[in-house]
Amino acid sequence: MDMILQKKSLAPWLERLEGYDIYAPVRQDDIWNYAHVTDGRDIDLGYPNTVQSPKPIIFPQCETILEFSASEDGTPVMREVIPEPNPFVVLGMRPCDARALTLYDKVFGGDIKDPYYWKRREKGILVGLACTVPPSPNCFCPTVDGSPCSTDGLDILLTDLEDRYYVESLTKKGENLLNDAKTLFKAPTAAENKAAARIKSESEKKINRQVRQLAEVPPKLAGMFDASLWDEEAMSCLRCGICTYLCPTCHCFDIADELSSSSPLKGRRIRNWDTCQFPDFTMHSSGHNPRPDKASRLRQRILHKFHYFVVNHEAYQCTGCGRCISLCPVGIDIIEVLDKVRDYA
Amino acid sequence: MPENPYLPKLSKIIEVKQEADGPRAIKTFRTQFVEDGFTHECGQCAMLSVLGKGECMISISSTPLEKEYLQFSILKMGRVTSAIHDMKPGDLLGLRGPYGNSFPLQQWKGKNLIFIGGGIGLAPIWSVLQTARRTRAQYGDITLLYGARTSADIVYKDELQELKKEMTVHLSVDQEEPGWEEFVGFVPVNLLDKKPSPGNAIAITCGPPIMIKFVIANLEALGFKDEQIYTTVENKMKCGIGKCGRCNIGLHYVCKDGPVYSWAELRRMPQEY
Amino acid sequence: MVNLDDLKKEAKRILQDDKVKYVVGYTRSSAGPLASPVFIEDPEKIGELIWDASCVQNLAKFLLDEKRRKGRAKKPDTRPIAIVVKGCDSRSVNVLLQEKYIERKDVFLLGVSCEDLGVVDQKKIAQRFEGKTIQDIKFDLSPELAVTTEDGTVKLPIQEVLADRCLECQANFPVVYDVLLGDKSRKKVDEPFGSLEEIESMAAPQRWEFWQEQLGKCVRCYACRSACPMCYCDECVVDTIAFAVAADTSAEEKAQKIKWIEKSPTKSENFGYHMVRAIHLAGRCIDCGECERVCPVSIPLRHLNKKLEKAAKQLFDYNAGFEPDKPALVSSFRDEDPEDFIR
Repeated sequence: MDMILQKKSLAPWLERLEGYDIYAPVRQDDIWNYAHVTDGRDIDLGYPNTVQSPKPIIFPQCETILEFSASEDGTPVMREVIPEPNPFVVLGMRPCDARALTLYDKVFGGDIKDPYYWKRREKGILVGLACTVPPSPNCFCPTVDGSPCSTDGLDILLTDLEDRYYVESLTKKGENLLNDAKTLFKAPTAAENKAAARIKSESEKKINRQVRQLAEVPPKLAGMFDASLWDEEAMSCLRCGICTYLCPTCHCFDIADELSSSSPLKGRRIRNWDTCQFPDFTMHSSGHNPRPDKASRLRQRILHKFHYFVVNHEAYQCTGCGRCISLCPVGIDIIEVLDKVRDYA
Repeated sequence: MPENPYLPKLSKIIEVKQEADGPRAIKTFRTQFVEDGFTHECGQCAMLSVLGKGECMISISSTPLEKEYLQFSILKMGRVTSAIHDMKPGDLLGLRGPYGNSFPLQQWKGKNLIFIGGGIGLAPIWSVLQTARRTRAQYGDITLLYGARTSADIVYKDELQELKKEMTVHLSVDQEEPGWEEFVGFVPVNLLDKKPSPGNAIAITCGPPIMIKFVIANLEALGFKDEQIYTTVENKMKCGIGKCGRCNIGLHYVCKDGPVYSWAELRRMPQEY
Repeated sequence: MVNLDDLKKEAKRILQDDKVKYVVGYTRSSAGPLASPVFIEDPEKIGELIWDASCVQNLAKFLLDEKRRKGRAKKPDTRPIAIVVKGCDSRSVNVLLQEKYIERKDVFLLGVSCEDLGVVDQKKIAQRFEGKTIQDIKFDLSPELAVTTEDGTVKLPIQEVLADRCLECQANFPVVYDVLLGDKSRKKVDEPFGSLEEIESMAAPQRWEFWQEQLGKCVRCYACRSACPMCYCDECVVDTIAFAVAADTSAEEKAQKIKWIEKSPTKSENFGYHMVRAIHLAGRCIDCGECERVCPVSIPLRHLNKKLEKAAKQLFDYNAGFEPDKPALVSSFRDEDPEDFIR
């Protein structure tokens, strides 16, 4: 169902959504990040992209798996801490960040479902904002089967038409959200339909960067485990972890126990984000480390995203948001690396 | 709501046996679930939980035919294993599992089985050996080649004496020691010395990475084909269910798609384990 | 003016004469407007070098990698490496020399003077363009730069978007070098600790609130630590249970290692990490500003280190990174040191 929402009606619409927590991009010192917003008027969707993707809303940096303590006779007692979030709306998601969640669904779903992830995921309604212009000079979503107006993973897609939004509801959840404020929406005119279609078709052409023939890369990577390319590319890597922490598709995590008291026993088991770029990620208790150097770790990141994930899940583990390129302290550029892989002899 | 895969089940330790003393202490623990539990197949592992210390992934070394308990033989390595070593019968451990794939025993019916273990590496393949022993008629000849650094480091000492009555058992220690009458030298060298035949045989090996490497090389020299050699791979693991990414090797998560691999499969994977 | 061709000539010469294994310098990056480090072994590739106000990284960091690489090699190549250093970066090298982490013969320093400018702050440039996507920045028009957005190209003076640390610079040209290009006159700085004024004027409860909010943002990516050339400990206070394990480390040792700081990014643990790191850098930090630049959640980390730098100056009249032959601040005691804590 397609509708039109005047921009001045955005805040009133959100006010009608009682019972929902609203997360939207908020500007602080000229960078944008998702925050829990209580006043709809604080929201300004005229933003490029957020520095941190919305992944912490659904896959937080740190969450408690279970709490433990000891009863009087010393028997350990455990209590699982399954999240029970309020229903929430994530407003203004760029299509690349929404697609990334569909990739998480593959990882955290499958034969064994991760209850912590799904409890949050199921409560979320994702309202996307199409990219009229590329948010970043390093955007490359079409290369990885995405697009600036992709609807993958979204419940609603907004397209900016200057003073109004073209609103497409894509799922039942999305439709319900519109129905909660029916009077604010009206059917689009033929001109508005045309305008939205034109913006969308032109948006992809505005993206400057790409990896030509990316499809050649996964099979190429299969034979590149011992290539010298990795040493060269990893020379300047600081193994800081920013690329993976800001990536909307990276999902590695650590599980650890933290005590608040050792006697009597009391504490919690948590899971935290972790990254294959840290030196101790694969280190055994004996000190043996299968990936002891930066080259092997950079190789792992590229091979996992563009070969292993492709074989296992039939998708690149990358949605082309460009954050890893823009925020790498030393400018390691995944597009350049992929070009070099494709052309590697 | 289906079961939470991260929630351990409580299991009571019913027996603790000191296998080896000293700096490389090994203890064998037998556990019984307090309430509901799980059964396993040969080669599978479980995440042992010591609340407040952490978790570690250990092979289940008892045979699935043993219904009374699950057995774990644990080398004291660090924080979690030290805490487990301090536990006594009656103490409770958390267990999650069973994780991973299993040895394809179905395909080995009628074949000769050659077990080659080093140090604590005997534990992950012990479940296969005990299963074969209890269903003896289904398999051909069974041979065990096992060695450790010193005789003090040998695990299952009593059981090995029993086994000698039922199958060919070749033991070894790495260096000369007073009173040791069997082979002296590394396990891969003992393998070449005893020359087991590859005819209708499957070799199952586990031990320190360097030992596995040489055992496989020597098995190939003896004429074993890639598909006849099986091993189980060790890796740092956290979630056990293929989501945290830590044990990823190539297309696999070792906790889910491994740890049991034939050499034919393993040699095609990135050699980072 | 630093003549880029002179820099290239010097770099090419030391490569051709086999004086160094490779040269670490700056080059244009496809990732964004700032420079990227480049590692050049082939003298013919020296054309990749650049030098301008986008050369923000502290290349002394790569001396740590080089040392580790040599440590791992069976037959290490002990020839030095060359790095391009700005004034601030050269002070890092002096601290590494003072702490005997490297030897002077391990590094050939290609010094470049920032003269009366410095390097830019990418965030300040973004602020000038109000959230518009910056498509390109041209740095070869010093003392101006040209910024292109969808609205066209605008020129602005580099001075207006200089990094805060450059406004308090105490070494606008290298203090240790093998070759020095550019002007050697000291830039006058009126207020060497001016950036601390605002925060120092806050009352204690306000300052506490401020840091709780800022450090609450930390996601523990450790980029600040990874970017810092002074953070070279194999076993870091925040990683004690992960590192420094050898095949013969006993289980007891590993079991007894204390977890000083938990991994979870709660307020207390984040405070612990940042405060301890700041203290471990007291008297060693030379304000290259990389920690703050790389932080993905924009924590104003410089303030922590700058405050301790100010304390080192005021209490002990000590400036890190100028005199590598003198003892380091925290590993020496002089009779004149204030001791009002001893009663």
